[in-house]
This record gives sequence, C-alpha cells and structure tokens, in this order.
Amino acid sequence: MTETTNDSSNPMVTVTETGASRRGFLTISGVAGLGLLAAACGSNSTTAGPASSSSTNSSRPSGDAGIAKTAASLEVLAVGTYKAALDAATGGKLGAVPPAVATFVQTAMAHHQMALDSWNGILTSAGAQKVSTPPTDLKATVDAAFAKVTDVTGAAKLALLLEQTAADTYLVSLPLIMNKDAVTLAGALQSVDQEHSAILLYVLGQYPVPDVFQKGDKAYAGTGS
Amino acid sequence: MSFDERGLRELIVESEDLQSDALRGLPESIDNLRDLRNDRRGESVDPSRFLAFERSRRQVLRDLGISGLAIPGLGLAGGFGAAIASALTQTMPVAAADSAIDIMILQTASSLEKLAVLTYGAALTLPFIANGNPTVKAFATTTMSQHDQHKMAFQAQTTALGGKVQDTPNPKYAPIVEAAKPTLKTPADVVALAMTLENVARDTYLSDLKQFTDKKSLMLMSSVMGVETQHLATLRAVAALLAGNAPQLIVIPVDPSKLPAAAGSVGFPDAIPTPKLASPPAEGAVQ
Repeated sequence: MTETTNDSSNPMVTVTETGASRRGFLTISGVAGLGLLAAACGSNSTTAGPASSSSTNSSRPSGDAGIAKTAASLEVLAVGTYKAALDAATGGKLGAVPPAVATFVQTAMAHHQMALDSWNGILTSAGAQKVSTPPTDLKATVDAAFAKVTDVTGAAKLALLLEQTAADTYLVSLPLIMNKDAVTLAGALQSVDQEHSAILLYVLGQYPVPDVFQKGDKAYAGTGS
Repeated sequence: MSFDERGLRELIVESEDLQSDALRGLPESIDNLRDLRNDRRGESVDPSRFLAFERSRRQVLRDLGISGLAIPGLGLAGGFGAAIASALTQTMPVAAADSAIDIMILQTASSLEKLAVLTYGAALTLPFIANGNPTVKAFATTTMSQHDQHKMAFQAQTTALGGKVQDTPNPKYAPIVEAAKPTLKTPADVVALAMTLENVARDTYLSDLKQFTDKKSLMLMSSVMGVETQHLATLRAVAALLAGNAPQLIVIPVDPSKLPAAAGSVGFPDAIPTPKLASPPAEGAVQ
C-alpha cells in the first residue's frame, strides 16, 4: 500500500460521472484535491460505486480528473525519459546498443505517447487542459538517476523502474476511478506496462514474471504536479 | 360518546368480505410462486439483467435527486426523499445483485485459472517439454504454480462474498484444450496454446474490472491481470524465438546483444490492449 500526501496548494478539481462514453468521462465542476494513490489496496469495502471515505483515507482526496492528470504526467515523464535514452544512444553515450533494446525503446516510447494522448483526450473532452509536464518530484529523481547511466544496462534498469512505477500506479488507482471507460483504459495501460516490464526483466537477465501477484509497491505517491 | 352500532356491524361484515376476497386467491398465488421458484432453481444468473437493474436503480435515485451512494444517512435525515430511498434500499436486493455479479466474475476467473493449471500440467508431461529447453520447462512449472495461487485467491474471495467455489475448468475452453492436446507436437504448439489461454485470461480480467462493485475483488483481479499479461508477453517472445529458429536464446540470463530486433517489440503488439477474447461473467459461473 502506498501513502500519499494531500497538498492543498494544488489546483483542485471535482469530477462527476456523466456517462459511459470516454467523451463523457469527466465533468469538471469545480475544485478539489488531486490525490492519486489511496489505501485501496487493503480496503475491505464491499460497497458499490467509487472509492469514497468508506474505502479511502478521507484526507486523501481523489477523483477521475486528478487520476487522469497524474497518469498523464507519468506518461509525459516516460516519453521524455525514453526520448533522452534514445538521444543518448544515438549520440554514442551508452556504448553499443543491441538491436532488441533499440527497438524496445522506440516501441515503448510510442506506447507511452499514445497513453499520454489518451489521457489528454479525456481531459480536454471534459474541458480540462492537456498535461504536458511530468511530476516535478519524480522527474528530479529520474533525472538524477539518468545522469549516472553510462550504458545500456543502466538505461534498461531505469526504464524498468519507470514501467513498474507506471504499472503499479495504475494498479492502485483502479479502485478509485468512477468512470468505467477510464477503468478499462487504466487497466489496459497497467497491462501494457507490465508487458514492457517482463521484456525488460528478460533483457536484464532476470525472470520475466517474478511475482505471483502484482503488488503495487512501486506506485507513485505524489500528485503529478 | 355514542356510535352507530348497526353501521359498525355493516362495516365489520364488509371488512370480513374484503379479507375473504383477498384470501381466496392466495393459495393459488403461493402455488404459482412455488412453481416459479422451482422453475428458476439452478438457472444461471444473467449478468445483463443485474446490470440493467442496477442502472435502473441508480436512475430512480437520480430522478429523486439523491445519490445512490448517499442513501445511508448522508443529509437525508427525513422527509419524502429519505423515506423513498429507505424503501428502495429495503425492498430492492441491490447488495445481492451487485454481489451476484462479483461472484460470477470470480467463479469464471477461477474456472480459467483451473484450466490453465491443468493445461500447463498436461504440457509438462509431454517429452519435448519435460526433457526439452530447461527455461521453457521452468517457465511452465512456475506459471502453473502462479495460476494455482490465482485460482485459490479467486476462490477465497468468492467464499468471502458468500458464493460457491468454482473448481472445475472453464466450460468453453476446456473442450478446446482437450481437442488441442493430440495436436501438441512441438514446444511451439504448446506455447501457442498457452498464449491463447493467457490472452483469454488477461482480456477477461481487463473486461471485468469495470463490472466489479466490490473494490477488494477488483484489486485482486487487477493484480492477477498484471501477472497474466507478463506471462503473455513472455510467451509471445518465446514463440517468436522458436519461430526464428533461435531456441538457444530462450535462456536466463540471455545475452541481449544476440537477440533479434523484433524481441524488443513482439511482446506487446498493442499500445492499448483491448479485451477481444474476454469471457462473459456468467461463462464459468457455478450453476
């Protein structure tokens, strides 16, 4: 289970469910917190409907818009990091790059761009602004790690961390999402990020399916801002 | 205080007549209800009926200006709205309907996991798996164990929700696996069959996520889905290496410099997977 903080300085958005279509995903009607990760992992709630005070910490506000924005910001970070890795590889800064790794970077970057476009499509259709910046705190961590990368193995390890973070974030966000289309989108992205992780593990010489259950312990605990 | 005794007697007679009239059809109604119960006993539950019911219930509550989730005492301390809301929640088996859907989903998931365990188990008896590539054999063994633990988790959650445990293989795909067994002549055949089962499981769970009302069940299924999809990606890569006549690269640790370029993309053909092979919730439900 991952904890998060409630940053009251963040822009605040409340969201109501308006229908089953993606276009009708969000109706932003005001302001509310953008807390993403909640205590849903261990929730015993069996009530229907969205995660609420019955299943999450009431000091940790959540909402479809908040989750969409945080997810989009993570996708921005993934795209940017893969782009940086590609540039470093092209510039010869990572040494010899195996063809499979080059293909992986290009494919994964394209996948994350499509994920970003999907979340931004949802946000803009609801009247919200596109997300184009990564989470500040996480980007600082990734930048610091990337500065130490000198070879393909290092880049693959960093990519693995990003993929696991994204997949785990989607996993723990799922019980908090109200809109059913958004649930399926988050689940699909959790799935493809897990696929990325499996291949990266294999390339790194590790067993590709190390866990019996995806644990969610690497989920991003910030707000995406 | 005086009263019209004759009038009272007439009212009593009239009341008795009304009661008599009302009771006259009761035995027949009870018999009809008994027949209906017997007719429906053992019928599988149609999930679409529950979903339609749930939509209808929520619409009624919205029309009344109240949220379905806000019913239990949130700002409805009295008045007509509270009375109606209370009556609705008391007379409509909402929790039972929601729980029934969740239970069916978990039972169908159990049936898919049971079939996966049996299939990997059968594969491990084949000589070209049992005595073949050690990494493939280890993968089959580990994956079988993981599916068994998934099955037990789904079964435990079924019980927690008050449902009956499903411990038989999926009725749709079990015959397909049986028919495929005689055709399994090479590792690639086994990998292809396993890919199908993993794909069905992943798609089913992905499709089910939005149908859950119980959050704990949703979390369980999504955590299992995250593992099935890794099985699927790995099998896709293994299938590609077998098809490319590079079984020597199916090894841990592998030398990444020797992997073909396609190994970096074949594991995930879709940027955003869609559940094309999803089994419906009732498919593996206990009858």
